[in-house]
Amino acid sequence: MKVELRGVTKRFPGVVANRDVNLTVSGGEVVALLGENGAGKSTLMNVLFGLYEATEGEIYIDDQKAEFSSPADAIAAGIGMVHQHFMLIPVFNVIENVMLGLEETKGMGRLDEDKASERLLSLSREHGLQVEPYAVIEDLPVGVQQRVEILKALYRNADCLILDEPTAVLTPDEIRDLIGVIQSLKDAGKAIIFISHKLKEVLEIADQIVVLRRGEVVGTTTPSETNEQELATMMVGRDVQLEVSKTPSEPGTAVLRVTDMHVRDDREVKVVNGVSFEVKAKEILAIAGVQGNGQTQLIEALTGLRKVESGNVTLGDEDVTGASPATLFKMDVAHIPEDRQADGMIGAFSIADNLVLNTYRERPFSKGILTDRSAIQRSATKLIEDFDIRTPSARSPASTLSGGNQQKMIVAREFTHAQRLLIASQPTRGLDVGSIQYIHARIVAQRDEGAGVLLVSSELDEIMALADRIAVMCAGEIVGVLDRADATREKVGRLMAGVRDEAPRPPSPPVAEGEGS
Amino acid sequence: MLVPTLALVAALFVGALVIIFTDPETLRAWASFTANPGRALSLSWDAASEAYIALFRGSFGSRYALSETLVNTTPLLLAGLSVGLAFRAGLFNIGGEGQILAGFIGSVMVGFSFDSLPAIIHVPFALLTGAVFGAAWGFIPGFLKAKTGAHEVISTIMLNFIMLNVVLWVLKTEFFLRIGRNDPISKSVNESAELPKIAGEGLRVHLGIMVALAVAWLMWWILFRTTIGFRFRSVGANPKAAAYAGMSVAGTYIFAMMMAGALTGLAGATQMLGIKKFLSPGFSGFGFDAIALALLGKSHPGGIVLASILFGALRAGALTMQASTSTPIDIIVVIQALIIAFVAAPTLVRAIFRVKLRRSERETEGVLAKTWGS
Amino acid sequence: MRKRGIWLIAMLMVLSLVAAACADEEPETNGGDDPVAEEEVDFKACQVTDTGGVDDRSFNQTAYEGMQRAEEEFGIEIDVLESQSDADFEPNINTFLQADCDLIVTVGFLLGEATATAAEANPDQLFAIVDVDFADEDFNDVTYPNARELTFATDEAAFLAGVLASGMSESGVLGTFGGINIPPVTIFENGFEAGMNYWNAEAGAAVELLGWSSADQDGLFTGDFEDQDKGKQVAQQLLDEGADIIMPVAGPVGLGSAVAVREAGNASMIWVDTDGCESASDICDLLLTSVMKNMDNAVYDTIVAAMNDEFEGGLYVGTLENEGVGLAPYHDFDSVIPDALKETIEEVRAGIIDGSISVGG
Repeated sequence: MKVELRGVTKRFPGVVANRDVNLTVSGGEVVALLGENGAGKSTLMNVLFGLYEATEGEIYIDDQKAEFSSPADAIAAGIGMVHQHFMLIPVFNVIENVMLGLEETKGMGRLDEDKASERLLSLSREHGLQVEPYAVIEDLPVGVQQRVEILKALYRNADCLILDEPTAVLTPDEIRDLIGVIQSLKDAGKAIIFISHKLKEVLEIADQIVVLRRGEVVGTTTPSETNEQELATMMVGRDVQLEVSKTPSEPGTAVLRVTDMHVRDDREVKVVNGVSFEVKAKEILAIAGVQGNGQTQLIEALTGLRKVESGNVTLGDEDVTGASPATLFKMDVAHIPEDRQADGMIGAFSIADNLVLNTYRERPFSKGILTDRSAIQRSATKLIEDFDIRTPSARSPASTLSGGNQQKMIVAREFTHAQRLLIASQPTRGLDVGSIQYIHARIVAQRDEGAGVLLVSSELDEIMALADRIAVMCAGEIVGVLDRADATREKVGRLMAGVRDEAPRPPSPPVAEGEGS
Repeated sequence: MLVPTLALVAALFVGALVIIFTDPETLRAWASFTANPGRALSLSWDAASEAYIALFRGSFGSRYALSETLVNTTPLLLAGLSVGLAFRAGLFNIGGEGQILAGFIGSVMVGFSFDSLPAIIHVPFALLTGAVFGAAWGFIPGFLKAKTGAHEVISTIMLNFIMLNVVLWVLKTEFFLRIGRNDPISKSVNESAELPKIAGEGLRVHLGIMVALAVAWLMWWILFRTTIGFRFRSVGANPKAAAYAGMSVAGTYIFAMMMAGALTGLAGATQMLGIKKFLSPGFSGFGFDAIALALLGKSHPGGIVLASILFGALRAGALTMQASTSTPIDIIVVIQALIIAFVAAPTLVRAIFRVKLRRSERETEGVLAKTWGS
Repeated sequence: MRKRGIWLIAMLMVLSLVAAACADEEPETNGGDDPVAEEEVDFKACQVTDTGGVDDRSFNQTAYEGMQRAEEEFGIEIDVLESQSDADFEPNINTFLQADCDLIVTVGFLLGEATATAAEANPDQLFAIVDVDFADEDFNDVTYPNARELTFATDEAAFLAGVLASGMSESGVLGTFGGINIPPVTIFENGFEAGMNYWNAEAGAAVELLGWSSADQDGLFTGDFEDQDKGKQVAQQLLDEGADIIMPVAGPVGLGSAVAVREAGNASMIWVDTDGCESASDICDLLLTSVMKNMDNAVYDTIVAAMNDEFEGGLYVGTLENEGVGLAPYHDFDSVIPDALKETIEEVRAGIIDGSISVGG
């Protein structure tokens, strides 16, 4: 099978999302589509998958012109897509999800699950995609859910698979498994389009790399002809520094001490189970771990957004267990929340208003109950310049900013205050290379000025780049604390998967992120 | 502005069809359409245009009509502001009827209990008592939501029915009933507590409209110029972000529901002291319209002023319309419902009129749809 | 363009078909501006309803039926204005004051104030109000020469029903319930209980009443005049406690009670306000009789009086004597009710009319 996009342009009112893109992928080949967020990768794939109609240009399947007016057409033509956010029904089991829309029946509309299960199992054997057909989706680890998505596409006879940021939600081990699966699919003659903004894995997986910037193809290359630095430059359009320059830490006294903390999630399940650690001044303690291992709830409990079931938190000498966000703010704790759009900002509000979300009651932003619009505006104008937030005006709604600029806005708000402790949760998730580098530099600068930094991240690269010490969290517990100097990617990766001292790997816990929050 | 205006146009058009196809004579003409198409069309045109002309005459066509429009606008405006304010804080206040009745009880009590107070004290005292009663009734769902998470839509609806029965109960007490009578009508408010008429004795329009407009301005000022308003709007737009920024979400819910209750209570009080004069059983009939017009006015005080004038005009004009044409008064309810349906489905309106919205307008609409929907 | 034209024609055709389906078979003769050559009488009667509207299946509607009867019989002009809220009463009356109405009929105690005010301010305009007896704030009776207050001694007719039910009950237990505890409702129940007490005294029986106590002026109420489910529940409750004849005083709520009564098999009901065999004919087989409050007659009579320049202001009380209230025919139960009991009822009727029997409070 050969899939070709010829001269595809997709315009939205006022925006060109893709301009004259050519892309070819043949059976037995992996093409990586590399680009920053907003470069037009997803739009392009949505055109190929029939979700959008191209403004100009054509799609050819095996040199035949194809017209897709809906995903059903694309599926019929042998194209399958695994979205970044899975399209699975959590309370259905694997077979039900796989056969959804193509239900096998045995007369009178009765479902024939056995027939479906047979076909599913043969597919899964063929490509090394182990799944338990009757397991319910919500009980499965993310990596397995992804396998179900891939099987769903294969079940529909996909010869060309689009994988949209497939590694974003996986542990290092699961990524390794996925690479194996991709290899096997490739050997079976499938054409694969692999979307990513992560340089390392693209270099590892792809046969061909197509780099998109602002909707246009800026380069086509192969892993053997290029390297990370060059790809980054292509992607961003200017030289970027991939490594944060950082001096070794000179830790001071402990700023934050957490002792035997227990926390439950919204479903009353205990997700933080006796966690203890401390963060010293002038050091970055990174909590590494795959999403959904209790980090979110741990941070919420530390910052007053969730009840602490038991345990103790002290800030300096003061007990702040269960203290409100307002109290912590007064004690010079800054917090970059994990889900910036849901927790960190109010999209409908202007940037200026968002910048005073926690200081609106203080002078000069208000006097008595009266807010001072001009003071808020002045301060915003200054912060926008200082933190390089790209926006036409301080009055624009925050939701109009790009992800990177939203994060800069939050950082600007949190960093303008004296800081003893900075809690940064997934501070660069979904950001482009340029913004990541900027935020990393800012975090290191905070450390150098004397703050203790608690960083939570599921990106191994980020942990390795920033941490002075690394605590790895798995299934609600800290499974190991390493000094940066002793930590290798492999060691941390194993701990993230819950392997302690070569003990057998426990099943990953269910994913609690997203739905509950 | 664009969508509500287009929604009004579309609603009037569909309303015209309803008028045409509920008029027996026009309907008969359509039945013999093939024999005499001209008659069917001209009768249809007459039915709809006469109804709408009468509607307009009854709402804006004379001093009397204008006065009636404003009389209807007053309680709608105050109750609409209440719904709008609560909505800004992320709360859906369906409890308008109950809070209005609370305002009725408070204001009528003060209104008939004192007979030697000068009007300058008596009127504000009665208004304030109505507002306080409304606030107390609004406090309950706010408190329940803040402390137990009970959804305010459910609790406010229930409280409406509880208050309805409270009214029935007070109308059996000697304190409220007229001496020696036991039909469920309370004593009337004393003259010193009546809101003075502002356009002469013949016209019913009273000082309440001024109060309502002042409150609309006050609400705008509070929402957009004070720290309280900032907190309300933050909690309403994104409670998680507000909590993260150190605001007390629970406290805001309670406070916002109390303020909303006070506004609806005041709506009841102005109606009691300006028009009604005595308490009787049953809902007031404008608490639910208030929800619709707050939606139409996009919860902005200015928008709510315009929407309540529109609804007030529809109500006032409806009386003339039913008097001078055979159009049933219920058509007004149909038109109001259609306006809301069109406002709630902006995509539909845009499709009908083939207009694209500016980006900013899309933003607010997304927020509206999201919050109203949840 | 041509395509659109076809669409337009198709739409028009469909609409005309829909209209044909919806329109009445025969043209009405009372359409507003139909030039029907009836004997034109120069009289206009106008009605303002309360918030229930003209189709409320209750007093607004019954009063309007009296208007319609006068329209049919004399060819007078009638008009009605509905009120959406009590703020509309005054403008609606004002509208009719400008509209050359010879008589303005208002309905219900809610309109009392507005009607009294208008009657006082417009001494040349005739008014009639249903179910209201004007009084000032100190409960002194007030009358206006141009306003007739149409009230009804429903307790007289309910008294007869009480006698009838007591005589017919096999279990010796009667049941009643109301919509809301207000005088227009409880007057039925007071009369009903008084009739039962009369029977007990005269016949030496010990029939009991569930659901109302005249002494306490309190009893069983469903809380509204709409919810038929509650009507069924409450009736079931009364049946379970032994009642075999039930009088619901709650408008359509009583229709729900009929379901429970029918299921019980050996029970019957008494309808109120109108003859249930006409207004709710499908439950006629369950109805012992109906306690009728002939508001339509009162309105009709008032119109006739006004047309003949015999209008009198002040209080009109519908009684058994003037047939403003009464018992409906026994219909299906005519053959079941013993003649002796029928005679007793006629005697009681006569006794009430001549004053020898008091219906109580």
